[in-house]
Amino acid sequence: MSRLPALSPPWSLWSPGRARAGGLVVLAVAAWLLPYRLNIYWISVADTAILFALLAVGMGLVMGIAGQVNLAQIAFFGVGAYATAILTTRDGFGFWTAGALAMLAAVIAGLVVGLPALRIQSHYLGIVTLGLAVAFIDWITNAPITGGDSGISGIPTPPLFGIDLASQYLYYYLELIVFAGGLAFGLFIVRTPLGRRMRAMRDDPLAASAVGVEIRMLRMAAFVLASVYGGAAGVLYAGLVHYIAPETFSIADMFLLLAMVIIGGRQSLAGCVIGAIGLTVVQQELINLAAYAQLGYGLVVVAVVVFAPAGLVGIPGRAAAWYRRWRGHTGRAAALEPFRPLPAAPPSPGSAGGALLEVAGLVMRFRGVTAIDDVSLTVREGEILGIVGPNGSGKTTLFNVISGLYRPTAGTVSLGGRVISGAGPHRICQLGVARTFQHLRLFGNLTVADNMLVPLDRTRTWWSWRYIGWPPGVWRHDRELKWRAASLLGCFGLAQFAGLLPGSLPYGIQRRLELARAMASSPRLLLLDEPAAGLNGEERSQLAAIVRSIRDSGVTVVLIEHNMGLVMSLCERVIVLDSGTVIAEGVPAQVARDPAVLEAYLGKSALPAPHATEASP
Amino acid sequence: MSRRPRYRLVSAAAAAAAALVAAACSAPGSSQPSSGSTSSGAVAGPIKIAVVDAQSGSESDLGQFEWRGVKLAVDQANAAGGIDGRKIQLTLYDDQGDPTVGTELARKIASAGDIAMFGTAESAVTLAMAPILESEHIPNITSGQSTQLLALHSPYLFLNGPTGLTYDSTLAKYLVTTKGYKKIAMLTNNDSYGAGEDEAFTASLKSLGITPVATEVVPADQTNMTPALTAIRAKNPQVLFIGAEEAQSGLIVKQARALGMTAVIAEGAPAGTPLYMSTAGVANANGTIVSSPYLGNDVSPAARKFAAAYTAAYGTAPELHGAKAYDGAEVMIAALKACNACTGLALANAIRAVHYAGLLGNFRYNSSGVGIFATSIGIITDGKIKPAG
Amino acid sequence: MQSFFQTLVSGLSFGAVYALVALGFSLVYRTMGLVNFAHGAVLMIGAYVASTFYLSARLPFAVAVPAAMIVTGAVGLVIERVLRPLENKDFDLMLIGTIGAGTVLDAVAILIWSSSGRGVPSPVQTAPFDIGGVRIPAYNVLVIGVTAAAMAVLTLFLQRTRHGAAMQAVAMDHEAATAVGIHVGRSNAISFAIGAALAALAGALVGPMLYVTPTMGDSLGIQGFAAAILGGFGSIPGAIVGGLGIGVIGSFAAQSFQGYSDLVTFVVFTVLVMIRPTGIFGERTVNRA
Repeated sequence: MSRLPALSPPWSLWSPGRARAGGLVVLAVAAWLLPYRLNIYWISVADTAILFALLAVGMGLVMGIAGQVNLAQIAFFGVGAYATAILTTRDGFGFWTAGALAMLAAVIAGLVVGLPALRIQSHYLGIVTLGLAVAFIDWITNAPITGGDSGISGIPTPPLFGIDLASQYLYYYLELIVFAGGLAFGLFIVRTPLGRRMRAMRDDPLAASAVGVEIRMLRMAAFVLASVYGGAAGVLYAGLVHYIAPETFSIADMFLLLAMVIIGGRQSLAGCVIGAIGLTVVQQELINLAAYAQLGYGLVVVAVVVFAPAGLVGIPGRAAAWYRRWRGHTGRAAALEPFRPLPAAPPSPGSAGGALLEVAGLVMRFRGVTAIDDVSLTVREGEILGIVGPNGSGKTTLFNVISGLYRPTAGTVSLGGRVISGAGPHRICQLGVARTFQHLRLFGNLTVADNMLVPLDRTRTWWSWRYIGWPPGVWRHDRELKWRAASLLGCFGLAQFAGLLPGSLPYGIQRRLELARAMASSPRLLLLDEPAAGLNGEERSQLAAIVRSIRDSGVTVVLIEHNMGLVMSLCERVIVLDSGTVIAEGVPAQVARDPAVLEAYLGKSALPAPHATEASP
Repeated sequence: MSRRPRYRLVSAAAAAAAALVAAACSAPGSSQPSSGSTSSGAVAGPIKIAVVDAQSGSESDLGQFEWRGVKLAVDQANAAGGIDGRKIQLTLYDDQGDPTVGTELARKIASAGDIAMFGTAESAVTLAMAPILESEHIPNITSGQSTQLLALHSPYLFLNGPTGLTYDSTLAKYLVTTKGYKKIAMLTNNDSYGAGEDEAFTASLKSLGITPVATEVVPADQTNMTPALTAIRAKNPQVLFIGAEEAQSGLIVKQARALGMTAVIAEGAPAGTPLYMSTAGVANANGTIVSSPYLGNDVSPAARKFAAAYTAAYGTAPELHGAKAYDGAEVMIAALKACNACTGLALANAIRAVHYAGLLGNFRYNSSGVGIFATSIGIITDGKIKPAG
Repeated sequence: MQSFFQTLVSGLSFGAVYALVALGFSLVYRTMGLVNFAHGAVLMIGAYVASTFYLSARLPFAVAVPAAMIVTGAVGLVIERVLRPLENKDFDLMLIGTIGAGTVLDAVAILIWSSSGRGVPSPVQTAPFDIGGVRIPAYNVLVIGVTAAAMAVLTLFLQRTRHGAAMQAVAMDHEAATAVGIHVGRSNAISFAIGAALAALAGALVGPMLYVTPTMGDSLGIQGFAAAILGGFGSIPGAIVGGLGIGVIGSFAAQSFQGYSDLVTFVVFTVLVMIRPTGIFGERTVNRA
């Protein structure tokens, strides 16, 4: 235990941990004493508000953290409530048994609603989940088992060691404890590997899969998480009101819940809770002014979305930034530190110079357009291989196929003798292939440190069972990852930026960060797509040193580059692509004189050494 | 350094535990007297009564009708001196047609010190509120008509009109016995009103030895009724019974006539309202057979007097729901007068003891809270209901 | 068989209305990249305005509808100006921002027209056509005809006029469009106003088929959005085919499954979207990474 403080990564000193803990204590005590100040009506409002807060945490996890549009949260709530009601009133189960089975039912509902997310996203997912919620509402309004529109009455009060939970006041404590547990668990997820992966997936699913995140599993996990929170709220709701009817689970309530999450701040669970409690109270206050309340509520929603897209919790941060700008005080600027060479790998016997990656007969067509036409090439263990060619010659497509973003039309890619083409990008990353992107694909809403932590974590999604089975194991794993991230950031000279968002950094530093992120997954093969694009001369020479050091640490490097100077100085071998085929291969000096290469460049663009990027806006 | 917050957390837990012990000693809320449970209305000041009805959403029309009826009766009583000199003070709450909102309002009423409640117009909301009102000892005169309300056996729950079964058995008897129709089709919606009508009318027909030729159900928010009507048309019925709210009923009739269906339309209370007639169109509504305890503002001198006062107050003529609510309020006022503004169970018993000749008929409550047991048959002619000859 | 065709006809009539709703959704998405969840509320405003012109101002229906389209189009301009910061933002913000705008419109409608509905008499008093026992109300034929005309006019507008071409250009690449001198803001405003006018047309036409209430847009909006997705979001013919498809599925579901028609419709819709996420005509991709 005494070693723990030493392990703590440097940026943890910045976290406002102590203030936050003090605030939590105050909040907890206030929440505990609150019922003493409330009459019977306001305590029932408080009971409702906590349930909405629980629902909102689930919404925050699936929408704000994992980026999955879920308009069926109200249906998870309904499944929990209805399953509890049916099992207790019709089948005679005890409340807690029924509640446990209801949670199971809610999780199954979560899996069903999450299924479409495997194929569709964004507004498509929105309408499909909304449609499924409408379908659920239709079912409870019609089915005899749910009591139709009249609903189910006579749901028993949950028994709890002789505490009379029929009292709204004591029920408040039951809800409070479940809610506190749910919120703590949610926050734990957000700050540890599972939530970090979800946030990475939210920011850029493609880059996330390329650093080893199992997108499909995570999407399902996000929906299951949301359904657990929805189901728990439903069970508690059934025990609270003893009566349920379809009106409580309407689309209007779904949109209200959505408004709570967005107004509070969807990317922060605390924001979701603030939004839920605030809107519940305001709605109760204005209940008799329905039309004007609705008008005001609509205007507030529009105003928040337009003026404070990050929600209420984002306002203090914006205000602080505005204040700093006004005072002209920016604090001590973080600085880039020099790159510290990675530990060199001992020359591995035997395998050096052997084939690491083999591409054979590769063809890639898109709707009749052939981007890669029968390419075969070999990457040797421990070399730096350059791939050059005019714009549109298929270089990036080749990378996309190797890293698994595209499934080839024909041909195979094998790594160390094992066929990897056809496997998903996360799988290929796990097998030891990492890459950077031509246009930066950093996780924009994750800190620099978090950007590193996602690829550093080499566990599979299934590993996350520990969140329920053994949370301290998760905690320890997370601390270890943070330590390694700190040391890797130190190597790349990025330590001072650890707590910042990538978007706030200069372009060259973002480029270096993306390189560091690729290295964080401990690859055997590193694919760099135009790593020097946009860099100045000094940065380019730093890049060359870094790439050499990476190679010396035992990683094979393939890079696409237009800057011929860099290719000449860095690469040991060059392959030239044109129109999707290999037209030349060899040492740089020899390739540069190859007539086919000269024709390819001169004939196409009349530029002797093209520096232009392939970038198109 | 990094361990210090944990100590704070531990101390927080300790504080929480201490609070828990405190809570075990005196649970919050237990010290507050449960308002409304006292049976003597010794306190002076106005007598507070709640009106809970939808003022927003699709059921807000009913809520408006109900509120106007209750307010008219109470304003008249207050103008005449109130109850032993005390005025009745009404508070209107909007249940939005949502049972959950209803349960919250039930507690709000209790904490606000209202001694009785009028409403709601929707059985589902009343069903949700009834157990709380019972435990808070607040008598409730509802405009609901579902037989499920009777199944609650709450001594605090009273209906201000007949049950759905009364409407439908009167209607079925008229259609089958008086008019001799045999081929009767049913189209109901799936909300609690429609489902109640489905059940009650089917039972009424069964007791007369008739099985409907078709029974179709449409969602309450359904707007395209043609598929269901097409299935009914194929059976060629003489009568189409509708169990749906006013606007949807009108829409059903409009679409049925567009399909060329000529069957006689028969329905309970909703068909007697202006909204039904305006949605269906006057020509389409012609000939509709209505079962209602209040066939319009000309049926009796009392109705004419009520209609005149209502029109003077609101600038529009009353209909069934306003009349029902007015009767319910009159019953409450009579009970309050009889028991000197008592509350709780005493007030409930006083309501049960009231004998009152109202717009809908003679109220005499039985043990399940129903006070009126008959409806009349009317036929819509040129936008007006005429009693069937 | 007669019953089959009767159900089909009613499905197509309502499908034509869904198609008009979908057309507005698709146009706004295609040209602005905005998924407008206030569309249903705009439709409701259009229905109220049209019914007010028709019933209270006693204008002929054929005048009341275009007048309502103009008024609602102007309302659309206001909404577009307010929501402009959301254009091309992430979907969550658009979703809740446009829902918020819809809530405002709902409240305004309640404050102006009260929350009770109003029936609108059919402007066509001709007896229904009778084809082999299948009754086709004359008004429904009118609705289908107007939908077809709206699609044709919209297609011509987008392909043959300068404004239409500008909108398409903005959709494909709004930086490039700016560079060649297209006023992106104005182009977006026009396209949103046209979308609002289309919603008003749908609302005005559906008024006499249903009744006009402040909540009428909710269900029509969801069905219309589903129709747009089913046809291929952003595609004009897709909106028509998707609308008719949702109408017919709903109609047959209502006949076979009675109260469960929404459940069946949306489960079928989900399965179809899962099988073919880009819809029948494929999405006109607006923003590609």
